[in-house]
Amino acid sequence: MENKNIHILIRNIAVAVIMLIILLSVLYPFVWLVISSFKYEADIIKYPPSLFSDTYTFSQYIRVWDSIPLLKFLINTIIFACGVTIISILFDSMAGYAFGRMKFKGKKPLFVAVLVTMMVPFQVVMIPLYIEIYKFGLLDTYAGIILPRATSAFGIYLMRSFFVSLPKDIEEAGRIDGFSEYRIYWSIMLPLCKPAILTLAIIHLMNNWNDLLYPLMLTSSTEMRTLSAGLAMFVGQKTIEYGPTLAATAISLLPLLVVYVFAQKYFVQGVAMSGLKG
Amino acid sequence: MEREERNMKSKIKLFTYFNKPDKAAYIFLLPSFLTFTVFIFMPLLASLLISMFDINIFLENISFSGLENFKRLIFDQRFWNAFKNTLYFTALEVPIQIIFSLLLAAYVQKNTVFRRFLRSCFFIPVVCSMTAVGIVWSILMDPTLGTVPYMLRFLGLSDIGFLKDPLLAMPTVVLITVWKNFGLTMIILVAGIQSIPDTYYEAAEIDGSNKWNQFINITIPLIIPTLSFCTITNIINSLQVFDQTYVMTKGGPVFKTETLVQYIYTRGFAVAPYDLGYASAVAEVLFLMIAVIVVLIYQFFVRKETVDV
Repeated sequence: MENKNIHILIRNIAVAVIMLIILLSVLYPFVWLVISSFKYEADIIKYPPSLFSDTYTFSQYIRVWDSIPLLKFLINTIIFACGVTIISILFDSMAGYAFGRMKFKGKKPLFVAVLVTMMVPFQVVMIPLYIEIYKFGLLDTYAGIILPRATSAFGIYLMRSFFVSLPKDIEEAGRIDGFSEYRIYWSIMLPLCKPAILTLAIIHLMNNWNDLLYPLMLTSSTEMRTLSAGLAMFVGQKTIEYGPTLAATAISLLPLLVVYVFAQKYFVQGVAMSGLKG
Repeated sequence: MEREERNMKSKIKLFTYFNKPDKAAYIFLLPSFLTFTVFIFMPLLASLLISMFDINIFLENISFSGLENFKRLIFDQRFWNAFKNTLYFTALEVPIQIIFSLLLAAYVQKNTVFRRFLRSCFFIPVVCSMTAVGIVWSILMDPTLGTVPYMLRFLGLSDIGFLKDPLLAMPTVVLITVWKNFGLTMIILVAGIQSIPDTYYEAAEIDGSNKWNQFINITIPLIIPTLSFCTITNIINSLQVFDQTYVMTKGGPVFKTETLVQYIYTRGFAVAPYDLGYASAVAEVLFLMIAVIVVLIYQFFVRKETVDV
């Protein structure tokens, strides 16, 4: 009996050690990034590589603003990601509300149409979309990158599931008070969905903040690039040193990581519900 | 005066008409369906047409070319190379990602402090952009100044080129992709495993079944729906792989990591003559590949959900 316990103990320790190794390999790149971004260029590229250095500097975080138009990238990303998130939540919740709480003709085929859009790979519509935006004269504008993302099938699907789960006849109370259908949605139903809205907001924010191909294609000037697309362009050029690149990378990661720390629950919920990357 | 009154009346009439729930629904749906129509349905139809035209990014000298683009495709070595690379990436990435995530999910699903902490940490790379992840890993894996090749030297493995080595580049891209995304698959699987009632495990415990047998005989069969969902979405995402190779290798070395989407982007947007028609033809091939898998998803995911609308 005692022998068996020792076996279990050894096995548990072995598994825990493996987990710690995986944990280390997940966290190490972040630790390395943060520490390296405070090193001098010579220390970053020195051989043999080491995590720590004798001297540290804040200069990379000052130089980065001159060598890469980082402020512009940051502003673009905020406008793009937040713009999409706000508009999409409004439109998604409106459509989700209709599908979840209302009876109307053509409901089922329309809902299937929504789900079909979820199945269309972006690369297939990408070229016609580019031509469209070009013809509308919206290439390289905020409207041009925000409008195509003004709604999402996943968002509609998520909002619908939430609206369906609310108790029956809430809207009856509003109707008795003489509210219009639109006021019922805005003043009664929408405030009830705060958890669903938060979850959806996080997913939209994360997907758009990190997206690469989409902003890369719909913007052409450096002035309009997002962080993800802008940094990817700059890495390709050998003219940029490692120090500023790392500082820029750290800055680009910080906002979402901060949101993750405070709203982890909503990230996990949203992802568990979507299971989809984009 | 009278006209104004009539105007007012018709406005009220219009409002009353659209205030019925069965009519208001269409108003609620309007913005979304307008967006879908303009930015998904129309482009979807247009993509078929565009692939039959000779058209460049400046939209000059457009001419109908029939199936010419598809004919060129058949004899395009670089297309077949990209096709092969995409399948190679998918065949390597999906099993590694799913098995690794599943094993971890089985461990971290219990709600102890340590395991919750692991779950939170494993999810961090998911939140990060592939651009940032790519930048960091390509320096860490750099043959001359990277930490990883340096460490491996102590294990007797010297001069491993990773992303610079034609043979190892794709497996390295796969490893980094798994590193970035396993937290996502793991979280979905954890949700699946946690929904299994404890009574199954209690019964197995009484029968004297050990943890590994419980995992094989109870956990896996009961999360088959979640598992197949993860697999399918993972396959679709893998066939669309772009960000990783764009940031880390730009398709190199010697086109060994050039994927289909990368090739579409290169032909259409990055290299003269910015041949949108031809890039569209490549996109159609990709669409066909994904459509087959989408049919699977439809069977599994959509049909079940739409019944109760």
